[in-house]
Amino acid sequence: MKKVISKTLIAGAISTAMLAGAAQAAVTLVSWGGGYSASQQKAYIDTYSSGEVNMISYNGGLGEVRAQVESGNVQWDIVDVLPSQARTGCDEGLFEELDRSLFLPAPDGTPMDEDLMVDVPNDCVVPQIWWSYVPFHLADTFKGEQPSTMQDFFDLEKFPGKRGVHTWASAITEMALYADGVAIADIYDVLDTQEGQDRAFAKLDTIKDHVVFWSAGAKPLDLINSGEVSMSLAYNGRIGGAVLNDGADYVTVWDGQVLEEEWLVLVNGAPNRAAAIHFLIHASATEQQAGQAHWINYGPMRPSALPLMEANEPWFNTGVNIMEHMPNTDEHMKGGILADPDWWADNGQAVNDRYAAWMAN
Amino acid sequence: MSDTSTINSQGPLLTNDGVPLKDSLRKSLRRSKIRSFLLILVPLLFVLALFVAPIGSLLSRSVDDVYINNVFPQTFAQYEVWEDKSILPSEEMFAAVINDIRITHKLENSEGKNIGKNLLGKSGTRMTYEFSGWRSLLLKTVKSATKVNKRSKEEIKPYTWEAPYKEKMIKRDKRWGKVEFWQSLGAMKDPYTMGYYLNAVDLRYDANKNIIQKVEHLRVYKTIWMRTLQVSLMVTIFCLILAYPVSYLLATLPMRISNLLMICVLMPFWTSLLVRIVAWMIMLQQNGVVNDTFVTILPCFEGMVNLPFFGATNIDLCFGDEDRIPMMYNFTGTIIVMTQILLPFMILPIYSIMKGIPPSYMKAAQNLGATPTRAFIRVYIPQSVPGVGAGCILVFIVAIGYYITPELVGGKDGLMIGNFVAREMQQTLNWGLAAAMGTMLLIAVLALYWVYDKFIGIDNLKMG
Repeated sequence: MKKVISKTLIAGAISTAMLAGAAQAAVTLVSWGGGYSASQQKAYIDTYSSGEVNMISYNGGLGEVRAQVESGNVQWDIVDVLPSQARTGCDEGLFEELDRSLFLPAPDGTPMDEDLMVDVPNDCVVPQIWWSYVPFHLADTFKGEQPSTMQDFFDLEKFPGKRGVHTWASAITEMALYADGVAIADIYDVLDTQEGQDRAFAKLDTIKDHVVFWSAGAKPLDLINSGEVSMSLAYNGRIGGAVLNDGADYVTVWDGQVLEEEWLVLVNGAPNRAAAIHFLIHASATEQQAGQAHWINYGPMRPSALPLMEANEPWFNTGVNIMEHMPNTDEHMKGGILADPDWWADNGQAVNDRYAAWMAN
Repeated sequence: MSDTSTINSQGPLLTNDGVPLKDSLRKSLRRSKIRSFLLILVPLLFVLALFVAPIGSLLSRSVDDVYINNVFPQTFAQYEVWEDKSILPSEEMFAAVINDIRITHKLENSEGKNIGKNLLGKSGTRMTYEFSGWRSLLLKTVKSATKVNKRSKEEIKPYTWEAPYKEKMIKRDKRWGKVEFWQSLGAMKDPYTMGYYLNAVDLRYDANKNIIQKVEHLRVYKTIWMRTLQVSLMVTIFCLILAYPVSYLLATLPMRISNLLMICVLMPFWTSLLVRIVAWMIMLQQNGVVNDTFVTILPCFEGMVNLPFFGATNIDLCFGDEDRIPMMYNFTGTIIVMTQILLPFMILPIYSIMKGIPPSYMKAAQNLGATPTRAFIRVYIPQSVPGVGAGCILVFIVAIGYYITPELVGGKDGLMIGNFVAREMQQTLNWGLAAAMGTMLLIAVLALYWVYDKFIGIDNLKMG
């Protein structure tokens, strides 16, 4: 106890000193917490020797970043952001545009911006991971035929029980259209029309009375474990974490998964700008990208990391093969929908309003 | 009256040092006023600087549209002279858009750093609130209208795009040919707008700034406002029903027992909010303790019975797995959990008032012939009203802005306006809308306070 108190006192004294002197302090990296932050800690921070990096958690969104930048009192250096926020934040000047020539090329010499699975949306972003929204269930939930497609998620007769779905519109609208028979390549063209959106919501209506909504990433696992729902959408890393680390008996249905980008950005006016850029260069290198998959089954954004992992299987820290748990392998990408963050940045407000109205009425 | 006239006739009353008493009194009063003002100066400044100013500045965002008007002055000027708003505007307006973009794009701050690009980016976000798609349309157009050298980051001159622009812009993106985009500018053309408030009650401006209803599938806020009121009212009523007898017991039982009871009231009050919410989740979820108990202990009877009058009837009195009651992640869950969490806010003010009601009053009433019930209703309850009022106001005000409980247990139909304020603040970054909803909440609370003062009197409000 005494030790704890003295530690707290020291920590308090140090933070006061930092506030007072604004000395060169540790870089602050803001991320999502849980197993994901843990993987970043192990793959990026523990392997970084040229400075200190502190991690704190947040619940997503750019509210805090905007408040910090607009008030001129920036506390955060690096933030881990979702794709649509990576775009609006850069548009608004909440993030700093980075000199792309600083970043390390792939082992074969390809520059970082060409060593990405998507076109780089702007000069603010530094590659992180691919993750996906994907349905899963317990292995013993259904007797006989097992769910294998996105249609099955919407089929309450064949696979009875409630469904766990998140409280915002992205991914689930795409899934609804896909389950309704729209080809993956056409999803955003269809969604761009009023009729297309009506069609998606009509499909959602078919399961509405059987949906349990969640908003925190850990919740779907609770819903499945407690039997509240028979199938649920979840972040693939949450499912994988439980399977790989805790031996949970979950089955992931990859068909119809919606893949999303994840980026690191530097806050405009970051207090430890130089150190933060130095760290970003380290964290985005091919080796660290592959290294993160030691600890979590989120796919690296840089394809040059994949051969590194494949060649060294079993790559996961517990000694199992990781590739089969990755969202962006060829096999899992067959029914994979690449989310279009630009479309969401344009239409997010309206479609989310509609989704909220759909939920509430 | 006669006294004053006597004084007046004898000249003003003087103090020992010859100063008129009136002046001296005034001086000393003023001195004590200044002293008390100095005493409250620090907290006053504190409240002004840390409470009124930031909240005021955030709330002012709910009407502020100056920003977009600074970026597109020519465009909005052209909008005023655009006559038939059902057909595409003329070349002048297209040119105005390009001019505004080019002027803004070059803007630098005092340190010589380009800020124009971000100003346009922010505008795109603002315009998307009015009509989906503006962001990408604007950014695409910015790129075409102002080519930038990749290396030096300077604009390439002369511009590759030259007038006339209308056809070029429509060719670049067919959305410029859609009149809806142009019409949506109407809602932004004034530097101060009521648009956010309209949005918060499912209304909007049309092209001529007439107020109209939003399309049906986008109407969400009215439902949420009504639900917020409904939840707050129900929680207040349930709290009152539960708290009144508990407070009565607390106030009347012997000290030894009432202390124990008080601990039972305060214990959950001191427990972390999240712990209590999670405990309720475990209790109430589909496979939770309550439902499990129902399924296992409720007698199960199913089969044919020969009933008198009805004859052979098939009776199914089973509480099976399919009968489990959904009590979590919905409206019911929000009500139950919020009632439990806010209960102490009702018990404590009522208790503190009841504690001050002398037991002898009830005895007196009964001595004068009232039955115990009548004495309770006519003598006890009226005296406890100030506590009830305080408790109700407290619970209602706390409940109306509740956020975390509905977020965690609200599910599909238990979300309240606080959750939507949070969404606009965090996710969509529509701070104008968030500020409008916040202001409306504030006004609702003030209105409630006013109504209370009008009917019950704020002097009767006693928190303890």
